[in-house]
Amino acid sequence: MFLHNLIYEIKSSFRVRDLLFWLILFPIILGTFFKIAFGSLYEKQTKVTAIPTAIVETADNEVFRSVIESVSGTDEALLDAEFLSEEEALKKLKDGDIKGIIYSGDKLTLTVSGDGIEQSVLKLFVEQYMLREKIITDTMTSDPSKMQAVIAALSEEVNTSEEAKLTEGNLDFYIQYFYNLIAMVAMYGSVTGLHVAIGQQANLSELGARKNCSATPKSVGILASLTGTWIVQSICMIICVSFTAFVLKVDYGDRLPLVYVAAICGGILGVAFGFFIGSIGRMKQGAKVGICMSVSMTMCFLSGLMVANMKPIMAEKAPWFNNINPAALVADSISALNLYSGYRVFVTKVVTMLVISLIFYVLGLLMVRRRKYASL
Amino acid sequence: MEKTVVKIDNLVKRYGELVALDHFSLEIKEGEIFGLLGPNGSGKTTTINCLLSLLSFDKGSIEIFGKKMTPVSYDIKKDIGVVMQNVVVSDELTVYENIDYFCGLYITDKKLRKQYVEEAVKFVGLDDFTKFYPKKLSGGLLRRLNIACGIAHKPKLIILDEPTVAVDPQSRNKILEGIQELNKNGVTIIYTSHYMEEVEQICTRIAIMDKGRKVAEGTKDELKRMIKNTETISIEALGLGEDVLAEMRALPHVYDVKYDEKLLVISCSGGKHNLIRALEVLQKRELGFGRVYSELPTLNEVFLEITGKALRDKEE
Repeated sequence: MFLHNLIYEIKSSFRVRDLLFWLILFPIILGTFFKIAFGSLYEKQTKVTAIPTAIVETADNEVFRSVIESVSGTDEALLDAEFLSEEEALKKLKDGDIKGIIYSGDKLTLTVSGDGIEQSVLKLFVEQYMLREKIITDTMTSDPSKMQAVIAALSEEVNTSEEAKLTEGNLDFYIQYFYNLIAMVAMYGSVTGLHVAIGQQANLSELGARKNCSATPKSVGILASLTGTWIVQSICMIICVSFTAFVLKVDYGDRLPLVYVAAICGGILGVAFGFFIGSIGRMKQGAKVGICMSVSMTMCFLSGLMVANMKPIMAEKAPWFNNINPAALVADSISALNLYSGYRVFVTKVVTMLVISLIFYVLGLLMVRRRKYASL
Repeated sequence: MEKTVVKIDNLVKRYGELVALDHFSLEIKEGEIFGLLGPNGSGKTTTINCLLSLLSFDKGSIEIFGKKMTPVSYDIKKDIGVVMQNVVVSDELTVYENIDYFCGLYITDKKLRKQYVEEAVKFVGLDDFTKFYPKKLSGGLLRRLNIACGIAHKPKLIILDEPTVAVDPQSRNKILEGIQELNKNGVTIIYTSHYMEEVEQICTRIAIMDKGRKVAEGTKDELKRMIKNTETISIEALGLGEDVLAEMRALPHVYDVKYDEKLLVISCSGGKHNLIRALEVLQKRELGFGRVYSELPTLNEVFLEITGKALRDKEE
């Protein structure tokens, strides 16, 4: 009886067009939209662009000329330098074609237009050059024998801190949207969970009444329906993660199998939430679907699906909320895989999801288990 | 001695202040087609829901197949078939899959289930529609599918709650013939309907409910004898005088005579040979007459006389 119910639950679920749209097609469309919108934005933000700069030589300075040539003209050049007359340089600066003019002679001077990162970089570059030039000049004057050692020391990059990577994962900001997309699909699972609860109760649906008249124990029917829904929801989650990872080429880092685990646990949580809502009271099915969808979307909103800054805001205003918001838990569990090399945060989030699911299922079952009704 | 299949004893069901079932008792024997009649809100569907242990009740007891019926009486439920008032099927499953699904709620043996489903398909005449989805079926075909889903597992007791609502005459005839065929195979049937002619056609015993109470019970002939009018005689005759009508009124068992210059209608209560006596009055006076009819009361008249003619929905 269990297997019979399970097979028909899965079969009928995959024939519900609304379900296929919201759990499979809509995430594909939204994910593609995210990729188009945020993918190009990310590339624009992070690409290192050479600073357009004019060099005006007031006196011959071979050393500086060679330094300028070494920091410009390559793919990862610091400067996009061109040697111009003062008149041409000032015109370009005025027109905004260049960010600054370096006057090269006995002494370096810098003229920039306004404030900004690029102007600051130019200022730092000139100061560094002058400092190093002074060290070399002083050494040559005071102790030429140490010249080689000084040059060697200056050639080395001196770092007071050591770079330590938290993870081998992807720390891109825009990937948060894909975490939230997965969370949204998980939360949409609430509608399938809702149908399980309604479809088992004689006072909420005629199908429920009909099933209650049958020789199949109610517990078997509920368990089979829930198992079927978990399977359907898990398949939808796998499709969502696979599509974003392999078609949209979203980089989930080097622990993709655990992203699937988090997504599936999220799906189980979504189904649990819907099952719980479906079990409460005698509201009409449409009203319950409305509650499920609106609560799910609110949770997704608060976890940053629509506005990326929402989660930090919630973390500041109500830090406890992100720890119980199902959508935030799903997004955070996947995020933890990319932020931390360890598993502590990931496991904590996944366990929290499963515990909340269990609470929803137990509460739902307590309400659904009723076998006789005062009215239908 | 016939076995009692259903025994409802002193059942009371209240919805707040409203008493839906008021000390209602009923006994249905094996092999009967038992008709449950009553106006809207009389308690028919509440009785069925209590019988199926879907509804709790305030007082009384229900036994099916000699055992107390509870929500976990799965051994009893496996022998009960239910055809709900509304069509209850899954829109996502085909005709065949729907029947198989509902049959599978009772029958675990896959091979046996396949045989039962095929028999049910044939029984309701849906052979050509097995791969259709319910949305593609007409109202009559949907009703037949609903019945197939309820009876495929070959139950011993079938409860049909108004199974022919909004069904065309051909489909209705097919359904009624099917019910009689099931009954011939030994199945006990409880049948609720608003259609008196259907109940009259197929039911072996009938209970009439009103305001949660059983107001009459018996075979259709027994019920017809319970009301005042037992025979209505109509005679086509012209120019009958008041003296003739007075003589007609004086005949034994006649309680009402109406005449509209063309048709004489005599209402009788009990007695035999009422028609012969009325015709003798006319022959004795050498009065000519045309067509003559003698009609027994219909179940509809019985129903209306017992439950009253006031609109129940309006009353509620």
